[in-house]
Amino acid sequence: MVRDNPSITTENLTAVQLMEIDSCTRCGECVQWCPTYDASGKKPGLAPRDKILRWQEYMKKSYGLRARLFGPKQIPEEEIEQFKEDVYGCTTCAMCATVCESGINTVELWEAMRANLVKRGNGPVGKQSMFVKLIGEYGNPYMSDPKERLSWVPDDVKIEDKADILYFGGCTAELRQKKLAFATARVLNRLDIPFTMLGEDEQCCNSALVRTGQYEIEDIARKSARKNVDGIKAKGATKVLFACAGCYRTALVDWPRLLGEELPFEVIHITEYLDKLIDEGKIDWKQPFDNKTVTYHDPCHLGRHVGVFEPPRKVLRSIPGLNFVEMDRIKDNQRCCGAGGGVKAGIPDLALGVAETRVEDALAKNPDILSSACPFCKRNLCDGRDSVKADNLEVEDIIVLTAEALGIDLSDCEDQAR
Amino acid sequence: MAMEYYAGISDAMRITFVQVMILAIIAIVIFLYGMYINLKKWGLGAEGYGQKPSKGSIFTLPKTLAYQMSEDGHGHKQNIIVTLVLDILLQRRIMRRSPLRWFMHITIFVGWMALFIMSLLMFLVELLHMAHLGIGPEPAVFREFLGPINDLFSYILLTGIIIAIARRLFIPRMREATIAYDSILLGGLTLITVTGFIADGIRNGTFWGFGIEYPYAPPAALFHVIISLLFCIAYIPYSKYIHMIATPLTILANKGGE
Repeated sequence: MVRDNPSITTENLTAVQLMEIDSCTRCGECVQWCPTYDASGKKPGLAPRDKILRWQEYMKKSYGLRARLFGPKQIPEEEIEQFKEDVYGCTTCAMCATVCESGINTVELWEAMRANLVKRGNGPVGKQSMFVKLIGEYGNPYMSDPKERLSWVPDDVKIEDKADILYFGGCTAELRQKKLAFATARVLNRLDIPFTMLGEDEQCCNSALVRTGQYEIEDIARKSARKNVDGIKAKGATKVLFACAGCYRTALVDWPRLLGEELPFEVIHITEYLDKLIDEGKIDWKQPFDNKTVTYHDPCHLGRHVGVFEPPRKVLRSIPGLNFVEMDRIKDNQRCCGAGGGVKAGIPDLALGVAETRVEDALAKNPDILSSACPFCKRNLCDGRDSVKADNLEVEDIIVLTAEALGIDLSDCEDQAR
Repeated sequence: MAMEYYAGISDAMRITFVQVMILAIIAIVIFLYGMYINLKKWGLGAEGYGQKPSKGSIFTLPKTLAYQMSEDGHGHKQNIIVTLVLDILLQRRIMRRSPLRWFMHITIFVGWMALFIMSLLMFLVELLHMAHLGIGPEPAVFREFLGPINDLFSYILLTGIIIAIARRLFIPRMREATIAYDSILLGGLTLITVTGFIADGIRNGTFWGFGIEYPYAPPAALFHVIISLLFCIAYIPYSKYIHMIATPLTILANKGGE
């Protein structure tokens, strides 16, 4: 008798991840906290626990006792398609990993499942499929000419050809939310910190490809990481500053894994750097805010993923005229903005639903400003703010607030904002 | 009434050494085969990030696990002793999320493990006695010694099980999410515990014997032993009981988790 092939493979999943799937005790804690499950109106398939259970069943049908004795049991294609939709309905915020009583590294599990489904021909979803072509062709996901990466640089900003510190701008700040790049460059200049940039040689950090399981296609992610790392080395930098949480996480965690080597430089988020300068007394605030209340949204990629919680708060607390208040859900327990994991591009309605909830979290504290440290969070929180018509709530990045408090004029920035 | 059997392996009445040993061996063989299948299944995964899938060797998981637990492995650098004590033995991840669920799970865990260890010890003592090696305590004395401890941990286990059942029955969120995969685990656990209480109750003439005559004590004990061997050992790799093995290993692999 000819046996069928299993409906699924184990591509991209490690042996430990396959075991992790069997370690789920179905306590349901992840279901309680999942932001997309919540924003979807509690669609059962989006619950992390349910996704683990389904893959467990797929594994049993394909490689379990019965499959060994009688051959694999086929899984209907529609079922796998639905599973794909659900696995991509996740912002990879890591809340489920934080609360998982079995200690399952769920984010990596979702990413591995996505990569598996991409190889199988199911993933990704929606506009995510454009990432490979755009990043492969243009080096950024915005279809912009690489020469535009430094088109925002105003005449007064001094960027060294080589320096110990390199500012990795990132696609969103350099090509869309230019105010953030403006602010970062001018803050560094104001603080007399010589820095260099990769300019048109900068490649997308590839967070979008890694998070959506497309990092192995045409080897683009690894090649881009290699170009970035080599470029940074050539610039003589030993410290690389990131003002984008997504780029920061990818450089810190994913680049070494993609390249199979330690990075020859230190990866630092701009708030960590500012935190250090504040400690050293090197920041002289020039222009206090007019008694504004600010709250802070932890970007998942900066907070839960890599544990940078305090530096952004310290920066905000040290800015004169800002009254810092915390939302109820912060740090490890923070609620995602909804943009990550490719959800903004792939399932925008879901991303907006999560953002609305997060903006409501902020509004409960009556702040004037909702701040974050990630351009992607800012973008989605702006959308959420507009959607709930919280017109008086300013959504702004910490580095922009820092620049303003240092008396830096950003009015000449032609920010595309979104 | 004098004890005529202890761990259930004495040649007394209808419960015999041969019966129990055969059952134990069958249970262990079923368990080992299930673990072999699981190791083969897990071994279909890659040995590391971005690597090609392995071919299903039973050594792939131990290798991958060892690397992940090493200094160079993925994740933060939490000390393995901290992970073993705080995250695995004391189960602080559950404690952080829900003290009630922690209490439920820790009582089941502690009760289960203590009874399992005591059963093994009793088995060993009786085996040594039957081998006439002249070492080890007298089974009757050892049984008396274990009695109160056995009762204590039995009630600890029972407390956890009652909480678990109550949660599944009375918390709507839990009730609606319960599937056969969960029910079998809890049902099996309940069956083992209740049959244990009843077998002991008949033998000792206590409340838990429900007035059943002493001659029924050996078959009740045999039934308890069979159920225990099947659920405690043989069924582990094929059911949610696998979490007793996979969860501690997952916590170790992820150095205590995120």
